[in-house]
Amino acid sequence: MLRGGDSGRPAVAPRNPAESPVLERVRSRHESERMPRDGEPLTGDEIGLLSEWIEQGAGWSGSDRGPSKRARGPITDPDRSWWAFQPLSPVEVPSVPNSDWARNEVDRFILSKLIAQGLTPSPEANRVVLIRRLCFDLWGLPPEPAEIEAFVKDPRPDAYERLVDRLLDSPRHGERWARHWLDLVRYADSDGYKADDFRPTAWRYRDYVVDALNADKPYDRFVREQLAGDELYPDDPEALAATGYLRCGIYEYNNRDVAGQWTTILNDITDTTGDVFLGLGLQCARCHDHKFDPLLRKDYYRLQAVFAGIQLHDDLPLADASNRSVWEQRGQAWEEQTAALRGEIDSLLTPYRSKASESAISKFPPPIQAILRQPESRRSPLERQLGALAYRQLSYEHERLVPQLKPADKERHGSLQRALAEFNELKPAPLPVTLTVRDVGADAPDTFVPGNLQEPVAPGVPSVLDPSPLAPLRRDSAPATTGRRAALAVWLTGPDHPLTSRVMVNRVWQHHFGRGLVPTASDFGRLGEFPSHPELLDWLARRFMAEGWSLKSLHRLLVNSATYRQASSLDTIGPGRNRRPGRPETVEADWRRAEGIDPGNQWCWRGRTRRLDAEQIRDALLHATGELRTHRVQGAADASQFHRSIHSKVLRNARDPLLDVFDVPQQFASAAARDVTTTPIQSLLLINSPFMLERARALASRLEAAAPGRTRDAVGLAYLLTLGRHPSTVEVDDAVEFIRKQLHRVDPELAHSATAGFRSERMPFRDGRAAVFTPRSSQETLSAPITGRLHPGPVTLEAFVYLRSLPEDGSPRVIAHLGDASGSGWAIGVTGRKSRHRVQSLMVEMTRTPNPPAPAVVEEVCSDLVLHTDKPYYVGITVAVSPGVPTTVTFRLKDLSNDEDPLQTVEVRVDEGSMTFRDPMLTLGGRRSGEALWDGLIDDTRLTGATPAVDRLLWVHEGALDEGVGFWRFEAKPSPFVDGSGRGHGLRPARRVSLPPSDARLLALADFCQALLNSNGFLFVE
Amino acid sequence: MKNPLHPLRPGSRREFLARAGGGFGALALAQLAAADLASGRNPVDPGSVAGKRLAPPRPHHRPRARSVIFLFMEGGPSHLDTFDPKPDLQRLAGQPIPESFGEVITAMGEFKSPILPSRRTWRQHGQSGLWISDWLPHVARCADELAVIRSCWADGINHSTGVCQMNTGSTLAGRPSLGSWVTYGLGTENANLPAFVVLQDSPAQVINGPRNWGSGFMPAVHQGVRMQGGSEPIPHLNTPEGLTPDQQREKLGFLDRLNRRFAARHPEQTELEARIASYELAFRMQVEAPDALDLSRENEATRRLYGLDDADTATFGRMCLQARRLVERGVRFIQLYSGAGSRWDAHENLEKNHGTLFRQTDKPIAGLLRDLRARGLLDETLVVWGGEFGRTPMSEKGTGRDHNPTGFTMWMAGGGVQGGQTIGSTDEVGLRAVEDRLHVHDLHATILWLMGLDNMDLVYTHGGRPERPTLNEGAAFKKIVGLS
Repeated sequence: MLRGGDSGRPAVAPRNPAESPVLERVRSRHESERMPRDGEPLTGDEIGLLSEWIEQGAGWSGSDRGPSKRARGPITDPDRSWWAFQPLSPVEVPSVPNSDWARNEVDRFILSKLIAQGLTPSPEANRVVLIRRLCFDLWGLPPEPAEIEAFVKDPRPDAYERLVDRLLDSPRHGERWARHWLDLVRYADSDGYKADDFRPTAWRYRDYVVDALNADKPYDRFVREQLAGDELYPDDPEALAATGYLRCGIYEYNNRDVAGQWTTILNDITDTTGDVFLGLGLQCARCHDHKFDPLLRKDYYRLQAVFAGIQLHDDLPLADASNRSVWEQRGQAWEEQTAALRGEIDSLLTPYRSKASESAISKFPPPIQAILRQPESRRSPLERQLGALAYRQLSYEHERLVPQLKPADKERHGSLQRALAEFNELKPAPLPVTLTVRDVGADAPDTFVPGNLQEPVAPGVPSVLDPSPLAPLRRDSAPATTGRRAALAVWLTGPDHPLTSRVMVNRVWQHHFGRGLVPTASDFGRLGEFPSHPELLDWLARRFMAEGWSLKSLHRLLVNSATYRQASSLDTIGPGRNRRPGRPETVEADWRRAEGIDPGNQWCWRGRTRRLDAEQIRDALLHATGELRTHRVQGAADASQFHRSIHSKVLRNARDPLLDVFDVPQQFASAAARDVTTTPIQSLLLINSPFMLERARALASRLEAAAPGRTRDAVGLAYLLTLGRHPSTVEVDDAVEFIRKQLHRVDPELAHSATAGFRSERMPFRDGRAAVFTPRSSQETLSAPITGRLHPGPVTLEAFVYLRSLPEDGSPRVIAHLGDASGSGWAIGVTGRKSRHRVQSLMVEMTRTPNPPAPAVVEEVCSDLVLHTDKPYYVGITVAVSPGVPTTVTFRLKDLSNDEDPLQTVEVRVDEGSMTFRDPMLTLGGRRSGEALWDGLIDDTRLTGATPAVDRLLWVHEGALDEGVGFWRFEAKPSPFVDGSGRGHGLRPARRVSLPPSDARLLALADFCQALLNSNGFLFVE
Repeated sequence: MKNPLHPLRPGSRREFLARAGGGFGALALAQLAAADLASGRNPVDPGSVAGKRLAPPRPHHRPRARSVIFLFMEGGPSHLDTFDPKPDLQRLAGQPIPESFGEVITAMGEFKSPILPSRRTWRQHGQSGLWISDWLPHVARCADELAVIRSCWADGINHSTGVCQMNTGSTLAGRPSLGSWVTYGLGTENANLPAFVVLQDSPAQVINGPRNWGSGFMPAVHQGVRMQGGSEPIPHLNTPEGLTPDQQREKLGFLDRLNRRFAARHPEQTELEARIASYELAFRMQVEAPDALDLSRENEATRRLYGLDDADTATFGRMCLQARRLVERGVRFIQLYSGAGSRWDAHENLEKNHGTLFRQTDKPIAGLLRDLRARGLLDETLVVWGGEFGRTPMSEKGTGRDHNPTGFTMWMAGGGVQGGQTIGSTDEVGLRAVEDRLHVHDLHATILWLMGLDNMDLVYTHGGRPERPTLNEGAAFKKIVGLS
């Protein structure tokens, strides 16, 4: 059956029902042809089963179900004859009857297959469905109610095409489609290992992708820039940013096995490049010849050799030569005038730096130590690469020197830094940088197949495509570079390449239609699946190149097709021109039959109902509530700032809880498609999480503002904002009835109990709940009046904190404030951008009012211990006050994300006497006055009238202490604000919370909104 | 507050299950009720995704273990001071390691530091005469249950890579955890609880965070679920504060109506029914999960057995007792982290560090072994003890030991393992495994084999590659059950 009988054609083509004559025979209307020869014809269900079996590979039980293994040995002609390695065939667009359904060439290809399968295409969906489908697909956002209205009423015959053009022309389009690309290149804003350090400049590569897609940068150029922008376009800053592609992999900051980590980095780039650009799974060939595909182990290392010359750079300016020189000129005055000062700072730090370097070097294995002790000029290319990688661990130590200086040196360092800061006005703003790559020089280290260190492997591509070595391509204008990546990039984007264009058009198809023409989008080999429409695939690939590799032209062609516009349900068939066979009962009969033939809809006989992906869900939620900020941000925003998901930070080890449950990829390896899972954990988050309750309340407030007291109108608007359509009368009635009854079930008093508006989150690297403080949100500071004596003696405040941002206006961020009504007090926090001290470091701002109403005296006592954003810390501050003795402030800081990072302790003397409070108040999340608000999280906080012993500090001993004055943990039970020290210092929101829903009506409306935001009508696109 | 049952139309669920059983296999719903489909404890597929699975979830051969309890001592406990006595350490104390042992890369560059002798007192225990140090007086009394593997080795020299490999087989992130492979291979026995549960002893984060129990490239239905004691063992399990029971129930009822209207429009889309069912499943979890972790009905003797009456042992004791309750309820894979946040990482002051942690864990672990034995559960429950690596014979900072992935000890008990045996050995100073070396892949293959799964036959197709839990390497050490 598989080999072919008398006709010479096999009856079954595994994985390709369309090419399996057996299906034609069982379906045939002619009795003479139809099989089985005796007995009843097979039912639709049975044929469907047969078709599915063929699609799955036509395995016999007992036989090997997968594709057959390749015989070992050199590449053979049969290897080369694999479909994906063949040149693109010149395909004629099929001529088909029923061409009033077809709108463009895509449809004629689809229709010809449908006819061959005995299937009928579906009529067009109505416009309400179409605009929602298009907006989510091209923008990742739902349409605005006004846009829906306008489109539905647009009488122009080309209203649809105009809408498509408008959507493609908007910056929102690149923001959506960049997501697909970023999944492929495993983009994230953090390192991905233990400490998972934030990569503050990585976003420029993200924006490069967004901009490239918005500008419709030709795909061939897009590929060339990412693989070899530095070599091919050396004076183009955009092309340099594009090499961020080669930097998206993970990095372990403290791996002493430097050579091992370098191998990991090169393997990762090789694997990803195979997946993304070639659509071939090369990983198998890392350890042995691929067992199914003609990919030799040697091929893996040929491709790896292309990247063997790279050197990682974090600080190359993204500016062309003229901008660079302008910048340098502008900085010259600063350079000259500060040379002496900087020299002094340098010589002050040099002994410390050498000591730190020596200690760091000694931790490496001897060969790496030897490299680091050798001058740069004497290192081989490989030694330069390994040396640079190892040197990152030295830099890590150098950045942490200041707090370790001896007191006198530290003082001097501080004053030198302040003197240096006087010249800041002369200093031009730094040029933008991102993570980039350049070659180590014109020569790359040799690449070997492991186990064979005799014969180096020359750079090359999979032998089945071209067995000869890849000739390096050097541009005169490029810096010393191997030209290997340039050669690969040019080879990949040549007009005859069989894979590049096929792979990319298939990816675009997959995202528009929910299933690729080749369903395994990153595997065009034997372990992948055959194309369902090979002719269409080739036609699209050729057209893609003919149109100058324009992605927008491809999008336009696909979404304008009748295939794309098909209805996915009987209720949403449009009134458009394609009514044939548009009568629902006809369609229903067609569909019932089609379900039997092609239940997976691989032949595209109807529209596909799909769940939104994680980012679409988050953006749609915030869009519905009116909270989404769509403007572009410089940087990676915290999720709490409600920017579009594409602009939000992606931290590999601290995943956003909402995105996580909706299957956002891990970003450790290239992801060509996403899973769609349904779990109870997901439902619990949607129905019970504070985040979702808040969104529901925000939407309810929006409805109430738009239609005060008018429930029916509110329901209508809610449907438009969440489901993108008007409700039916039945739906309005049901909703109004629900809201009416819900009014009697809600309990405003319960809802507004002190803690109901409290926002909490889990702090990364910790359990339980932490209080959320967001300067722009409704959460306000929390306060507790402290009764009893605090003085004399030391006072210690400890907390676990997580900082998300520093304000632009230069003010500090305050964790806690302890002070009295006169204005005297200590504000514990981090220094602001305008501080005289080290920016973003732990400090106490001491305010004294010695002679009111004379102005207060404010002194910033600073530790120089920096708190990085997006890292959890333990902070402890002890202020030791005793009359007549200078006050001492002890700062303690511990990075909770890294257990190998020691507890840092710094003591600072304050000479200006003591300070005591009468009836002090402790405020968390900002100054007592409500200024300098914290942005981030504050977890367990403890106030103690003593200096705790080192083994009783909060980060090792999470319990109350005998001298405890207050201990707040923010856990739900017994109450987030309760004082666990037993002293009765419960917290209260400092001022009355202005929660949006203030009465039963809003609460009932919020419940209706939350149900809508949980509903499948919201989460799915039809 | 427990969430009241929210209404579902009578019959709808049965209808859904009937359809699910009727052949559309693309249903990706976690822990779909097995017990409802057939009486007894039939395993069900917790998440088949069309085209990815090569076989339905069922064992490849007769399973010895039904569940696994993995006691993970995070940070790397010393084998040299617990299960692998090395007299040579005393002899070489204070000297650098002899050159004959060859060079290894260590995390903190301590290779040339002087040898640190062990301060422990060693004795042979049980009928089998296993060597166990005085740090584990309680576990020592269970010596005849233990198969001590002295010849473990791994690839990661740091915590991040080490913990990642001990969980997923690879030092690099992105692969499914062993528990995910088990649930993928065997399905679940209790639809109302996650099949793969993680408990930890402190609020600190285990290195790498939740991705240690993540499902990697498999669908999220296979991932481990972190459970905590108390009334809300799973995030967002309870009705939020400020809502009345009526309010919540009716809200869910209204949602159910919305979803049914939409599903009626799209009979072809099976995920829609799955989402409707997931709310009901969430409710059943609200009842069952807190109950599984609730120790209030355990009697006094049991509580004492696990050390719940002692402040030092109470925390880990509770986790061990909860693990037993989860096993009783059919949870497949339970991981308990001791010292979450690398607290076993004794770079200095090994005596105090390990002394404290063994004091916290020794009695609870022994209690677990005895309790499982007494209840007849040990034969079908595999208990695994160990960390991501062991520690070096060389000292660090004078009083500690650096990371040692090249040779370390783990032990297994129950689940068909023959107790009272020592497997493999390290060299004279305990630096490298030398005899019957078992890589992490071999350990994983052994655990899977005891559960009835063959590591080379358990395949998940991803990105065009047939992926296996042990990266196509590793072999089960079958002699662990006493066959020779």
